[in-house]
Amino acid sequence: MLYKKKWPLFLFLVPGLLFLLIFLYIPFVENIKNSFYDMASVVKMPGQEFKFIGIDNYKRLLTDPDVRSALVNTLKMMVLTVIFEVGIAFVLAVMVSQVKKFQQLFRTVYFFPVVISATAIGLLFKLFYNYNGGMLNQILERFGHEPVLWLGPDLAFIMICIPTLWSYIGFYFVILLTGLSDIPDDIYEAASIDGCSKFKQVFYITLPSLKPVFFTSVTLAVTGALKVFDLPWVLAPNGAPQGLTHFLGTYMYQTAYGLNNYDYASTQALLIVVLGVVVSKGVGALTADKEEKAERKAKKAREKAAKTMKKEAA
Amino acid sequence: MKKKVLSALLVGAMTASMLAGCGNESGETAGADAGENAGGAAAETTGTTEAGGGTADAATGNPVTLKTVSMFGGTDPNKETYEAINAEVMEQYDYITIEDNSQTSDEEWKAAVNADFSVGNEPDVIQFFTDATADSIIATDKLVSIEEIRAEYPEYAADTLDSALAAAANTDGVQRAVPTTGYWEGLYCNKDLFDQYGLELPTDWESMETAITTFKENDIIPIACSLNNVPHYWIEFLMLYAAGEEEYTSVPETAPEGWVKGLEMFKTLRDMGAFPMDTDTVDDAYTGQLFRDKKAAMQLDGSWYAGNIEDTENTVVIAFPGVPDQKAEPGALVGGISSGFYITRKAWDDPDKRDAAVKFVMAHTSQAGVQRYWEATGAVSQAAVEVTPVEGATPFAESIAAYTSSASAIVAPTDSRIGDAYKTLVAEIVKVSTGSMTAEDAINEALALVQ
Repeated sequence: MLYKKKWPLFLFLVPGLLFLLIFLYIPFVENIKNSFYDMASVVKMPGQEFKFIGIDNYKRLLTDPDVRSALVNTLKMMVLTVIFEVGIAFVLAVMVSQVKKFQQLFRTVYFFPVVISATAIGLLFKLFYNYNGGMLNQILERFGHEPVLWLGPDLAFIMICIPTLWSYIGFYFVILLTGLSDIPDDIYEAASIDGCSKFKQVFYITLPSLKPVFFTSVTLAVTGALKVFDLPWVLAPNGAPQGLTHFLGTYMYQTAYGLNNYDYASTQALLIVVLGVVVSKGVGALTADKEEKAERKAKKAREKAAKTMKKEAA
Repeated sequence: MKKKVLSALLVGAMTASMLAGCGNESGETAGADAGENAGGAAAETTGTTEAGGGTADAATGNPVTLKTVSMFGGTDPNKETYEAINAEVMEQYDYITIEDNSQTSDEEWKAAVNADFSVGNEPDVIQFFTDATADSIIATDKLVSIEEIRAEYPEYAADTLDSALAAAANTDGVQRAVPTTGYWEGLYCNKDLFDQYGLELPTDWESMETAITTFKENDIIPIACSLNNVPHYWIEFLMLYAAGEEEYTSVPETAPEGWVKGLEMFKTLRDMGAFPMDTDTVDDAYTGQLFRDKKAAMQLDGSWYAGNIEDTENTVVIAFPGVPDQKAEPGALVGGISSGFYITRKAWDDPDKRDAAVKFVMAHTSQAGVQRYWEATGAVSQAAVEVTPVEGATPFAESIAAYTSSASAIVAPTDSRIGDAYKTLVAEIVKVSTGSMTAEDAINEALALVQ
């Protein structure tokens, strides 16, 4: 027992709790309330009353084609983050862990995009994709090809995903590389002596040993995909072209600050929160270690049995 | 025991710093006020002498800190003039300190202004919109009418033209704002491109069609416009010309035929290849650059864009050429006066601030002040006072003078009548132009939101 008396701990915890209460939980409850009213302005002016509209916004949410498209894009982004962000990061981490020379250089180089702001990356790629004089079209024209509308309806989603995914590979790369460094070298040595190839070592030693770190990365990636906003917004604002590249975050922002429809935006915000909770719980359930689960179950059973015995003895 | 005391102190410090952070502003104000009062005696004599006259003599001696807010911030071409006049006011009346918080107007700024008015944090003087955008702050009854101010200061807004004051009246008909300059919207043309391809500047739909086809064939973008970002000017002119002045200025409950016909022209123009290939994704700044780089032949824009034109020899502004079977008179333009300086009730009711606020507004809206604003923005906007013409006008400025002086009608844009609902209409224009949504549905969706 580190501290005998707990009250100083609570005292230290209270300011943080108050902060969250004032700036997160109360606004969240207010947000739910707002979704049931027709808000004529972002704040209630003196003497102004918002009209109660019941579940109209929720009905609209179910039938809005733009919400559907934003939801599909967000779910697609979740899958892509797991495959490309965590996947590529894992491959890179395994390769970098094998080299002793320049490992620090690779770490820095791969992590670098993470520290650049999404806005800067967005602007950079915007210049690459420009139809008139963009870098990609300049290259194509140099080789005698027609320019391509990179952000046209057919390609826009992929073109937005590329920098979004690329910019965060370094984050998972560092997490996984740290995980890899925790695997004892003697396991690999023993495997090598037994004739296990490097490739097989990845599947039979690295992957199983890295499971907890891997699952943490997947959870972070999936929940992070829900928060995708800044880069797509810079690259293709308002879900351009034709609202096809909206994510839940960008559509909510456009509804609130582009269309000044604050009540409907509140409804969308709630959807994002609910989806976030459901997805993170889902991923948690999927990635929970079976052994750990069994152990937790056994522990519960033991505790229950001990309680029953205590009762009986009493 | 020591640990307990330390813990309690730390917790207290954290809580206090958090509360202090929340209440920072009031603390600062209190401090500033105290400072002002302390220095009041020293400045009193000067203040009374400089302020002179007026009926608010009792208030003129005390140092005053005026909180002002305007749209003349950021990259606004009026910023320099605005700040220069502010500095002159502070120099002339050394008991007045101006705490200015100007920003470029955008949706977040408008929301912040609304929030300030709702919580009693409104400034003393604000330069803001006069149309439906101002309705929410008008509803708070925190802005003083010109009539009320003139009862005490008969010279208030004396230089401003009556027509300008009437144009700057709020939607309830009450005149509260004193304007500086107004605006117009028109078709900017790269005349050299028209000459290069042997084309006449468009005067009707047929010549417009010819120009679009010819430019398209020669790899020149006919019209620089971002449908995803700023299709506003095209919405206005297409609806005005297709619907006629009367229907255009109405606030209907369902989509009128003229509005629908006007917006359907977006698809016609898009199918003709009039807009840039990437009109769905680029922004207004980019298309503006295309026009100035002579990669595009025409651009429909407002008077605020005139300051960006560098080639004033080969760029002209002309009247909108029109649409097939148009109902509006040729030469009808969208424009007017949409902003002005307001004095808030908070400043008016404060005897120290009342006189300073009046002086501040008069410095900006007097003939001399407006002349400076007008000249600083290229002498091309609609001035709210009688201005002295600038000598040696460029062909560009001459074309604007010819365009605005020969206007058959000047009509305020739709957003001044339907407010925020207009944004929904704007957001659907790309879909209307591709045909994935009908113009009628887009208009009805927006009109359903009109409060």
